[in-house]
Amino acid sequence: MKNIIEQLSHWELLEIEKPARYLGGEANQAPIKDNPKLRVCLVFPDLYELGMSNQAIKIFYESINNRPDIMAERCFAPWPDFASLLKKKNLPLYSLETGTPLNQFDALYVTLPYEMTFTNVLYILDLGNIPLLWEERKEGPVIIAGGPSAANPMPVSKFMDAIFIGDGEEAILEMCDCLIASKEAKATIREKRMALSKIPGMWVPEFPAKSVKRRVFKDFAKSAPPLHPVVPNVQATHNRAAIEIFRGCIRGCRFCNAGFYYRPKRERPVENIVKYSCEMLKNTGEETLGLLSLSTSDYSNFENLVKALQASKLYPEQTISIPSLRMNDNTIKLLDETPQIRKGGLTFAPEAGTQRLRDVINKNITEDDIINVMKTTGDSEYRTVKLYFMMGLPFEKDEDIEGLVELVKRLEAIGRSTKPKKQISISLSGFIPKPFTPFQWAGQNSIEDLKRKRVMVCKGLEGSSTKISWREEYLCLLESVLARGDEKICDLVLAAYKNGCKLDSWFEHFNREGWEKAFEQTGIKSEDYTRSHKISETLPWDFIDFQTPRAFFEKEYKLAAKIAGEEIE
Amino acid sequence: MTIQITENIENPDEIKAKVIYTKTQQARYVAHLDNIDIMCKALRRIQLPYAVSQGCHPRPKLSFASPLPLGHASYCEYFVVTLTKPIDPVWLKESLTKELPNGMEVLEVITPYHDKRTKNKGDCVKYRLTFDNEDVCNKAFDFLINPETTFEIESKGRNRTYKLGSAVKKPEMYHENNKYFIIADFMQGLAEVPSVSKIITALARFLGENKESLKLIERLSLQALQ
Repeated sequence: MKNIIEQLSHWELLEIEKPARYLGGEANQAPIKDNPKLRVCLVFPDLYELGMSNQAIKIFYESINNRPDIMAERCFAPWPDFASLLKKKNLPLYSLETGTPLNQFDALYVTLPYEMTFTNVLYILDLGNIPLLWEERKEGPVIIAGGPSAANPMPVSKFMDAIFIGDGEEAILEMCDCLIASKEAKATIREKRMALSKIPGMWVPEFPAKSVKRRVFKDFAKSAPPLHPVVPNVQATHNRAAIEIFRGCIRGCRFCNAGFYYRPKRERPVENIVKYSCEMLKNTGEETLGLLSLSTSDYSNFENLVKALQASKLYPEQTISIPSLRMNDNTIKLLDETPQIRKGGLTFAPEAGTQRLRDVINKNITEDDIINVMKTTGDSEYRTVKLYFMMGLPFEKDEDIEGLVELVKRLEAIGRSTKPKKQISISLSGFIPKPFTPFQWAGQNSIEDLKRKRVMVCKGLEGSSTKISWREEYLCLLESVLARGDEKICDLVLAAYKNGCKLDSWFEHFNREGWEKAFEQTGIKSEDYTRSHKISETLPWDFIDFQTPRAFFEKEYKLAAKIAGEEIE
Repeated sequence: MTIQITENIENPDEIKAKVIYTKTQQARYVAHLDNIDIMCKALRRIQLPYAVSQGCHPRPKLSFASPLPLGHASYCEYFVVTLTKPIDPVWLKESLTKELPNGMEVLEVITPYHDKRTKNKGDCVKYRLTFDNEDVCNKAFDFLINPETTFEIESKGRNRTYKLGSAVKKPEMYHENNKYFIIADFMQGLAEVPSVSKIITALARFLGENKESLKLIERLSLQALQ
């Protein structure tokens, strides 16, 4: 089939916002292989700029393309202007490397980074001329999903041929080998699904296993990160070379899905990080090196790491970016003493306004830590401090919301006394109970309650210079439904997509009416998914062996209740 | 190879290189700021000894030609980079080309290079327009050859009327292998003279549906007006 890109005219491309998103040809793009045994397309269900920043896409792209017999290409969700162009011209969505329609691949590997991308998956399959339900697919590519939002596979179980749970580094090539063998044996799609179901960590809706164990990449610490990532032709959301310095988290915040999904903590040694970082910077030419993890200052040798990176600087303008820092005196001192570290603003997440509630959620930040950060950074180069808070946390009382307001006011006063132009901004979001966390049984506040609490914060901070932003309450509800969904939620997602919902995490495209209509059409009640669950209840995702026992989550939930002085069923 | 170093008249300590490159194929659709970003990264990958600006956020010392309209191919894009030591132009040409995305290729490196900081009197840019239909090519030629041609273009939120006047010089037409070409010089950066980008936009509007026959817009050369 002809390269689809060649069928788009100059004038058509000019009508499109950022046409370079859809054309490929970037530096470090994998060379095209003649007649590979397997052709897979890595699908990221959001825009190019976000997908090109995604670590999983980089890891799989490099590891698959290092194999001479397999070719991996890329596809991202298009902005609606480009989707309309494809539809108008009756052209299918295609891969960036060769302009091959998605339905011509042997397999699509779909990364699900967050629940609000579920409709985007259908959008991409639809544009690729691929039937949306696995039951309707008799030929064409096998669709395999993975990523943090696939940990509970049920809400996408009607769309995927197979869903992989856990770290994909080792499994990705096992999947490829399995599909090569099936292809050579001229297997039917059903036989391919059956073969895939034998891979540890894989759950196949057509042949559902009673239990699936989450895969953990034990050799992570010894492994090399992707060293030749594609350099985007349109600036990516995270414009940097990124290296995971460790995977996993030791903190155990009771609301945090990622903290449990990526367990256990596995650290790359300093010398490897320095060696790989240099190589990655040489291969990408990025100005900034991003040290990635869930809580970077928990890296056991953090000070030495920063010093070693400082000593091995490649470019005069090179900087280091350290997201997810845990703020304490030592960290701030280190940041101030290291000129190479980019000093944009400080961001940290107390999550709750009172010590009582921070203890309930096991967020190990004390009020003193927060106050000290403000004092220590008083006259530093950091001009802005951003604080993330959640509302509607389990066992929360109105006093906690009042405490949030008081805390922000105190911080503002400290900030102003040290640096008059210090800017504080706070971001508010509703708590979303996530599977595989101690709060997986907890209920979510109603939209009205979340709004009421948000208004309390806004009124409490009236007249202050703190900037307040918040996440739309309906989005929080929706994310809860999608995260804790069962198989029925597939019908909701499908109905919403058919009602025109897509790109749900983009404010300008979020279609609330479409979702509300989908609830009506399917008869699904959001309360059934946002309510609190009894511990004795069977949850849709209980069949996944997450390698953190359910009993542990239960114990932690009860401990949270005990701290709050409440009882749970 | 011996590298000849000539003193920069304005700043004797500065060594500069002018890099002339193409922007064709997919690279035509890379926006100007992304283009700068791509070039900075490529220069770092080859570890070019470039100088950086002073200040809290140092950047490579580069100056680029004015932005090429999106979708126009070019064989005469350029940037000037300040170096910290002399380099071999052949090495720079070859190594940089290897690091650029599809459609970008270094054609020439001039170093040492001396900026002639004369007052900008505008540029003369030679364009080639490729059509797949003779009638449409003729129609476009008629539009471009007539200095009395007027058109309206929205600029800064309001419509403005332009007259082609002396903006287009020496248009010529020829054909080869069922393709029809117009070659013309466009004046750029002169007061009251519409830019090539505006003229091509107006031409496309004038051609209506037939604009699809205009397959390729290529900038062939760029000369500063004396």
